[in-house]
Amino acid sequence: MRCDRRRFVGHRAASAFAFAAIFSVANFGVASFGLAMFGAAHAAAAPADAALGLDEHGQIENPALQARFEDITKQLRCLVCQNESIADSNVQLASDLRRQVREMLLAGQSDQAIFDFMTARYGEFVRFNTPLEAKTLWIWASPAILLALGGAVVLRITRARSRMPLDDEPTPGST
Amino acid sequence: MWKFLLPFAAFVALVVLFAFGLNPNRDIRALPSPLIGKAAPIFTLTDVLDPARQVGNGAMKGQVYVFNVWGTWCVGCRQEHQTLLAISQQHVVPILGLDWKDDRDKASQWLTALGNPYQAVAFDSEGRTAIDWGVYGAPETFLVDAHGQVIFKYISPLTLEVWEKEFLPRIEAARRNGA
Repeated sequence: MRCDRRRFVGHRAASAFAFAAIFSVANFGVASFGLAMFGAAHAAAAPADAALGLDEHGQIENPALQARFEDITKQLRCLVCQNESIADSNVQLASDLRRQVREMLLAGQSDQAIFDFMTARYGEFVRFNTPLEAKTLWIWASPAILLALGGAVVLRITRARSRMPLDDEPTPGST
Repeated sequence: MWKFLLPFAAFVALVVLFAFGLNPNRDIRALPSPLIGKAAPIFTLTDVLDPARQVGNGAMKGQVYVFNVWGTWCVGCRQEHQTLLAISQQHVVPILGLDWKDDRDKASQWLTALGNPYQAVAFDSEGRTAIDWGVYGAPETFLVDAHGQVIFKYISPLTLEVWEKEFLPRIEAARRNGA
């Protein structure tokens, strides 16, 4: 009798885990499937000849501006590859956007002005660092909410277990 | 009661999530354009067929038009070219083209060999106009109303089905509203 109940508790924890596993695998599947389907139809701009990780336009003479350039381009998403920043990507569009950032920096524009320029044209998605605003609050809060939910489940299971008597010894008669 | 209701609610939530996420018609890389409902960026560039001639959208104000971004390096653009020719035959709206990061000679060969559906094609060799329009791939097609506002953006090669479903109703609505 007790054995059954205990198995039930264990089963519940296992199914919660399986749920999470299936969820993340499914998510990954959707993403890669979509990427594969997309490839042929909507072509990226012609490949650049820039060496990987190097900017073909060379360094900015002013080291402070160069540092800001590196910082900003790392925070802007390359919309062709979508998981790379424009600092890392060597597609043509990323190169054009780096040129844009460089020109705006040399013209004395602020970091915020550059981010605003990009967001006005490409949307919030272009920024890797999601700004904390009213409409993005749930994104920032979701890890805490999920952690609290998971913690509550774990707490319930461990409490239910600790209330049960120990029965690690094999029951007489069973194998 | 809750023991059964909560997992069931979680199950229903997952079904809804998967129905949305696994929808094969949803293009997960297509991004919503922040330009929708805003003024179309004004540009003046040279004509791809004639470097001495200027082409821009400033003179398009007062009429609904289609703005199509393409390049000879883009396979999807070749795929959609027949559709653009068919659309231009309907004489519903003018099509303004943007030849993006391309070669003038190749572009004029393309238009001579395949036919020219465009009222005019602007030549954007540096890609600056494309950045202003938030273009991140080709082909991309915009619909602009008579007030010069962007009302729709379509990413991927156009088909006549998309044209009839997505573009024609919006063109009619824009004209009915006096835009």
